[in-house]
Amino acid sequence: MRERLRELFLVDLLRGLRLTFSYQRPSATYTEQYPLERPPVAERYRGAPRLNNHPSTGETLCIACNPCALAYTENLIVVGWERTSDRKKMLTTFTYDLSRCMFCGLCEDACPVDALELTQDFEVARYSREGLIWDRSMLEEGPEPTRYTR
Amino acid sequence: MAATQEVARFLSDHSLVEATLKIVVVFAVLSGLVAYLVYLERKVLAFMQARLGPMRVGPWGILQPIADGLKLLLKEDLVPAGADRTVFLLAPVISVVAAFSVFAAIPYGPGGWTITNPNVGILLILGLSSLGIYGIILGGWSSNSHYPLIGSFRSAAQLVSYEVAAGLAIVSVLLIANSLSLVAIVQRQQQMGAWNVFLNPVAFVIYLIAGVAETNRNPFDLPEAESELTGGFHTEYSGFRFALYFMAEYTNMVLIASLAVVLFLGGWLRPFESVRWLSLLKYAPAAALVGAAVFVLWLGLKSRVRAERIFFAALAMGCVLLAAVVAMPAVLEAIQGVFWFTVKVMAILYAFIWYRATFPRYRFDQLMTVGWQRLIPLALSSLIVTAIMLVWTGQRLAPLLVANVLGGALTVLILSARQDSGRFRTIEGATR
Repeated sequence: MRERLRELFLVDLLRGLRLTFSYQRPSATYTEQYPLERPPVAERYRGAPRLNNHPSTGETLCIACNPCALAYTENLIVVGWERTSDRKKMLTTFTYDLSRCMFCGLCEDACPVDALELTQDFEVARYSREGLIWDRSMLEEGPEPTRYTR
Repeated sequence: MAATQEVARFLSDHSLVEATLKIVVVFAVLSGLVAYLVYLERKVLAFMQARLGPMRVGPWGILQPIADGLKLLLKEDLVPAGADRTVFLLAPVISVVAAFSVFAAIPYGPGGWTITNPNVGILLILGLSSLGIYGIILGGWSSNSHYPLIGSFRSAAQLVSYEVAAGLAIVSVLLIANSLSLVAIVQRQQQMGAWNVFLNPVAFVIYLIAGVAETNRNPFDLPEAESELTGGFHTEYSGFRFALYFMAEYTNMVLIASLAVVLFLGGWLRPFESVRWLSLLKYAPAAALVGAAVFVLWLGLKSRVRAERIFFAALAMGCVLLAAVVAMPAVLEAIQGVFWFTVKVMAILYAFIWYRATFPRYRFDQLMTVGWQRLIPLALSSLIVTAIMLVWTGQRLAPLLVANVLGGALTVLILSARQDSGRFRTIEGATR
């Protein structure tokens, strides 16, 4: 009898209607409007690399010691240096081939001075393969995510 | 010379000029409404599915219908190989003409708010709107393709089945109104002091279900079931001809909603017209505009884009100004009827979209079962009960309402008992 009454008064259909109606509240919207809104990235997310400078002096933190280059595939990172007159190593060039990088973070871990860092930026697409090979100046500037407006 | 005389004669005949002007206005408003109905549908559907819908063309995607229309206009008008060319090109035109011409007989408000008021209005409307099916069948047949053919056959079967139920539901309204004229039907409801829904809710429900089926919408959208027939009868159509079918479809939606409003929901009548203290409802048009202004302003404040903020602020200002104009007594009196008509039509259109977001599609044998074995017996019983009660107690609200509800419930119980006893012939395992 109860079953019959449910069918007679279309209870299940009305419950379905109530459910869909309730989903119209603005807070139910799941869409993220990507270029305008950015998803929050995990704190330890590994994205585009950056070569850090000293915050106050602006000189590079890199001591050209080379473990980052040794940590992963041959020639993914190439560190170039010169000896100064007092036989200290000084960084001249630094290239990073993002096309072969799998963002494992081994190079970052190998760095003794926290100069090389994989940042939280995730927009690393480029228009050419060559564009994925980043030189020292690009790495020092760090990633600049595009800000979109309409 | 003869032509100028002809024009002069035409212009001197005021009723003709007036009718032409009204036709142009109704056509323009209807086209705009249909375009934005598509936008509304996409938006409401999106919100019900926890999405946002169109957002990129203009603020909140408000220019999307225009972009869609332009796209369809610029696309190539393909005719498939082996198609019956003349019929193929003509079919969508039949559909759209049938859909639009019907609106000549709809009363949008009291007095001059109609284009014409034929004394057989409802017959005219049903006859004309049924012509639209020719467009669908011819389009499906002339495409020289399987899916459109199946789609158009399904459409024909479905329309024939549900037209019967809808017709019977309408007849019980005609019995109460004692007239075929739509204006008279609304005036009858005014005299009774009650809308026909309250006299015969069963017929209203039947009409609404059959109406959804006749517009080929969920849960009765078998003629164009995407998952089964790619696009149904308009699979092979592209460009502007596809747009014509699309317009015809949505115009039919508006038509079904308008008819439901006129026949069952009191047409242009304001709700609670006889209740004294609710005469405040008279100011609803102005209040609605102010409400719209507040909503638009809220959207603008939420927006982070400067151009959007300016746009929404301007829109809100426009709404407030319009509200001020509307609040003037003379204007308020003039638009009262058409405002309530529009509100009711929009409410029913919203319900159609709501159904689409909620209900899954029927299988074809279920569709036929619902049509022939449920709705038609129910409509017949409702018609008989209404006729008996009209003769017995006259046009009084309470007896009609009680008798119709009881009669409807009894019929449903009998029908479902018959179903349980297995006397309905359905496909094995498909008992509902």
